[in-house]
Amino acid sequence: MLKKTHAPQMIGLVLVIFFALFPFVYSANDYPYIMHIFITGFFYAILASSWSMLAGYAGQFSFGHMGFMGIGAYTAALVSHYFYMSPVPTNFCTEFAIGDSYLIILNPIGVTSSTLAQDCLKQAMEVWNGSVEVTPIPVWLSITLGTLMGGIFGLLVGALVLPLRAAYLALFTLGFSEILRAVISAEIAITRGQAGIELRYMFEDGITLFGRRFEQTDKLPAYFVMFFLLLLCLGILALLARSKFGLFVRALREDQDAAAALGVNTTRYKVMVFVITSMMAAGAGAAMAHYVGIVSPNNIVILQMSLVVAMAVIGGVENFVAAAIGAILLEFMLEMLRSSFVIGPIEVDMTTWRLVVFGVLLMLTLRFSPKGLLMPIIEYFTRGHIAKETVAKRDEPKMGDASRTESSQ
Amino acid sequence: MEFPVIFWGVFAWMISWGVVGSVVTRRVYLNKDLDTSNAGMVGSMLGASTGPVGLILLWIKTPPITSRMMLFPSLAAVGVFMVAFAIADPNNLCVVNGSFVASQISNGLIIGIIYGFMALGLTLIFSILGVVSFAHGEFYMIGGMITYFVTTVWFPGINPMIGIGIACIATFAIGATFERLFLTPMYSGKIGRPVEYGILITFGLAFTLQYFVQALVGANPVKAKRFFDFPRIRLPDAADPWLIKTSRGNLELFDTISISNPRFTAAIMCILVFIALMYFLRRTWTGKALRAVSQDREAAAIAGINPDRMNMLAFALGSMIAALAGAMLVQAFSWLPQVGAIPAMRSFVIVVLGGLGSIPGAFLGGVIVGLVEAAGTGCIPDAQQAASYIPAYGMFVLILTLLLRPTGLLGRRFSSATHGKF
Amino acid sequence: MIELSVSKLNKRFGGLHVLKDVSFDIKGPELIGLIGPNGAGKTTLTNVLDGAIKPNSGTVYLNNQRIDQLEPFQVAKAGLGRTFQVTRSFRRMSVLENLYVPALALGTEHSKAEIHEKSMEVLEFLTMEHLRNEYAQALSGGQQKLLELGRLLMLNPQVIILDEPFAGVHPSLMKIIYSYIERVNDQGTAIILISHQMDSIFSLCHRLLVLNYGDMIADGPPEEIKRDPAVIEAYLGIDEDEEDEKEGQA
Repeated sequence: MLKKTHAPQMIGLVLVIFFALFPFVYSANDYPYIMHIFITGFFYAILASSWSMLAGYAGQFSFGHMGFMGIGAYTAALVSHYFYMSPVPTNFCTEFAIGDSYLIILNPIGVTSSTLAQDCLKQAMEVWNGSVEVTPIPVWLSITLGTLMGGIFGLLVGALVLPLRAAYLALFTLGFSEILRAVISAEIAITRGQAGIELRYMFEDGITLFGRRFEQTDKLPAYFVMFFLLLLCLGILALLARSKFGLFVRALREDQDAAAALGVNTTRYKVMVFVITSMMAAGAGAAMAHYVGIVSPNNIVILQMSLVVAMAVIGGVENFVAAAIGAILLEFMLEMLRSSFVIGPIEVDMTTWRLVVFGVLLMLTLRFSPKGLLMPIIEYFTRGHIAKETVAKRDEPKMGDASRTESSQ
Repeated sequence: MEFPVIFWGVFAWMISWGVVGSVVTRRVYLNKDLDTSNAGMVGSMLGASTGPVGLILLWIKTPPITSRMMLFPSLAAVGVFMVAFAIADPNNLCVVNGSFVASQISNGLIIGIIYGFMALGLTLIFSILGVVSFAHGEFYMIGGMITYFVTTVWFPGINPMIGIGIACIATFAIGATFERLFLTPMYSGKIGRPVEYGILITFGLAFTLQYFVQALVGANPVKAKRFFDFPRIRLPDAADPWLIKTSRGNLELFDTISISNPRFTAAIMCILVFIALMYFLRRTWTGKALRAVSQDREAAAIAGINPDRMNMLAFALGSMIAALAGAMLVQAFSWLPQVGAIPAMRSFVIVVLGGLGSIPGAFLGGVIVGLVEAAGTGCIPDAQQAASYIPAYGMFVLILTLLLRPTGLLGRRFSSATHGKF
Repeated sequence: MIELSVSKLNKRFGGLHVLKDVSFDIKGPELIGLIGPNGAGKTTLTNVLDGAIKPNSGTVYLNNQRIDQLEPFQVAKAGLGRTFQVTRSFRRMSVLENLYVPALALGTEHSKAEIHEKSMEVLEFLTMEHLRNEYAQALSGGQQKLLELGRLLMLNPQVIILDEPFAGVHPSLMKIIYSYIERVNDQGTAIILISHQMDSIFSLCHRLLVLNYGDMIADGPPEEIKRDPAVIEAYLGIDEDEEDEKEGQA
């Protein structure tokens, strides 16, 4: 029997099936472009939904979420760029023996990395003359490392911001993210600064799935990796939101002292929510970096953070599913609005105007529908009946006192 | 750097004793039944400057903490850091070249005054509305843009004061309109969490304004020409080691310090407007009403002041101050729609450092941040690296402040419930 | 057997000596009133007992467990619950969720169904069953106060401190709070009741503690307290039924 309250679940299921089938059904000319939009949309959906857990559920308005994303992306990039495994020592690089093979760490040489004399691995390859095969760090491992690094930094930042509330927290996290960006742009020798650091593609050598061959540039494998990550992230968030974790962080958002007086370890849950959401952001960042193939400090600028915030708020910051769907829809909308048009003599360059539209939409949403645009729809189904129920319950005649059970302590 | 080991060694030493000092001092003061509110700050600074010696003395004697006890160890810590840097890098320009140092310091002071002035607007908004305006940098940018267009594109040759005036009026109007349209629900209790709403809505405004301007004027950098020329002066007149010499665009003091005209005029303008503003706040009825609202909303309302109108005035005035700083600096820097981001964050730093809501604190904070940035850009050996770190210097100051003394240097507590509480 | 023993508590804020060698013992499920003029240190004492503020010296033992250096959440788990002077319900969580928080924080011995059942019983007792799915912010001030009391029940504490439970409450709800206090006390929970409403205090409590500027000036049955010259002195010129008007800063 289908009830009205199940509608959101049904819609969710339909959406999942739609996104799972979409790459096989759709076949227009702009296939790679549309797929790219969706991959980016999934990426933003992970960020927006994890941010909604942080800001909407736990009430920690952090502007450092993109910083955590950057930590994941840069960890993956550095691992992928500098670390290799080799069966024999190079005698040029820094290296450690692990079992029978060697972990090689390339020397940081900044943007001039093509010069043979500076690149220790290239020197070694010259000596070996093709007799030795070095293997790069697998992509899944660098994504995992990126995620873990995000967790470590989340722990650090979460512990530091414990005494800070509201505006101070926002400023601190903004500061954290700006310092991170400055360090990345400044330490050119290691991070290659504004030039950006390249890393291996997610499927550098292509992949064969179910007898079909996908090249490195094919979008489908990356699409499903990102989609899977999004589902994983939403699954974890759903588990958390339904468990006592979700209840406690919301209590923490409403009143920290009252929650503590009722036995909730506020410190632990505040740090935990930082660690979990920053791991999600970092994981998304690492995967996206491997998909795009290059990361640069521009990925961490405040504009990116504004996008995530806007997507989450317009979708509904207090519901991570609404935030995720909002992110995908808005990413799609932003891309569709790109095409410029002409009114009379004036050519309107939509590449910038669409962001103005976006900003106005954000402000109007906040002002007139603070819960977001999707959240009220979900609430209509899940909570719409409650007011009526309350009235009905109040009016129904009371049963005799005999039926009441005395509460046992 | 010649001896990086010395520098990083001393740095690590200072950090570790700072942490030890902060944690243990708080404990010691708590156990001895004393006021602990600033014990962490004193402990960390004393630990950083004197290491275990001073700390043990402090723990034995546990004197009551005065502001002097916070000031001197902090200065000493800065001193130790500087000496360590000088020893580690003896050939650095900011160690060997006195005139370079003097020049950096005076430029740091001057730019610090302008920063402080801009932060004043933020502190005004915060103390009345309890909102940290994330759109502060965008008002700064718009102020500069309007001034540029009026004085350079539309009416070249017009008196720049008119351009600045138009910029002020326009941003005042934008600020007031925004406050009426979007901030009013905050006071009525309709919004569940007003502080967060304030953050998000001003964040949205910043985003919108920035791209609106970019859509209108494009993303190419523009620059206004100098507003005023210096008169040619040379004092003493004919002597060769002169004290003051000016060209139209530059001012030189004692043959060593060189200050560019745009910054100088901007600083002077900021000081003049600051004096006018202080007069307004302390002598006029409206100004007194503003201060009254900042101290106690309800009491002010009972006394016949309309707090809502004061909110509008404060937001518009605060935004106008940012725009004025931008209008003065558009002659000094090249201007882009994105130009507001760094000054905005700098203002946050200054306001937190000085103490949210404190006007003298904003100026003090501005000067400190100006000096820190001057030191950072002047002393980091690699020029490109130094430039990349510019947005980060202030942020280091911010994070240190939030960790050591979250109320800021001259902070005070707020009575109104909407203020970002600790 | 409940045993709360407070000895020689001292708390200073800067130069202000807010609690001066405060000592008292509670043995068994007593119903104790804590009274004193404004600024006497009642709320500070509550905060110290609750762990929100650490005392400068002195000890608090609850059933032989030292609790004065614990964090508030540990104190709550140890069996001491409190309400706040200003109502602090979790406004954007449903009434039921408000009740789940302490039950879940306490531990996981009970299944979700058990917790739900107990919550429903509590709501029924508070006559708020029909509101169970409403957000707490939709409730009236008095109902939010009841909800706070309900949350305390879910914590299953041995000692509870009620900070001004009658302030600003409609008389019809007052009856519920009265019966709440009596029932909880009957079930074996010790209650410390802070209130300015002397008639309530005198009709409910069997023992009174009087604080005056940080000093515990009297401890005894209500009749005795009424005649105590020190208490009369402290309350001189203060209307006995004075409503508490100051905003709390718990």
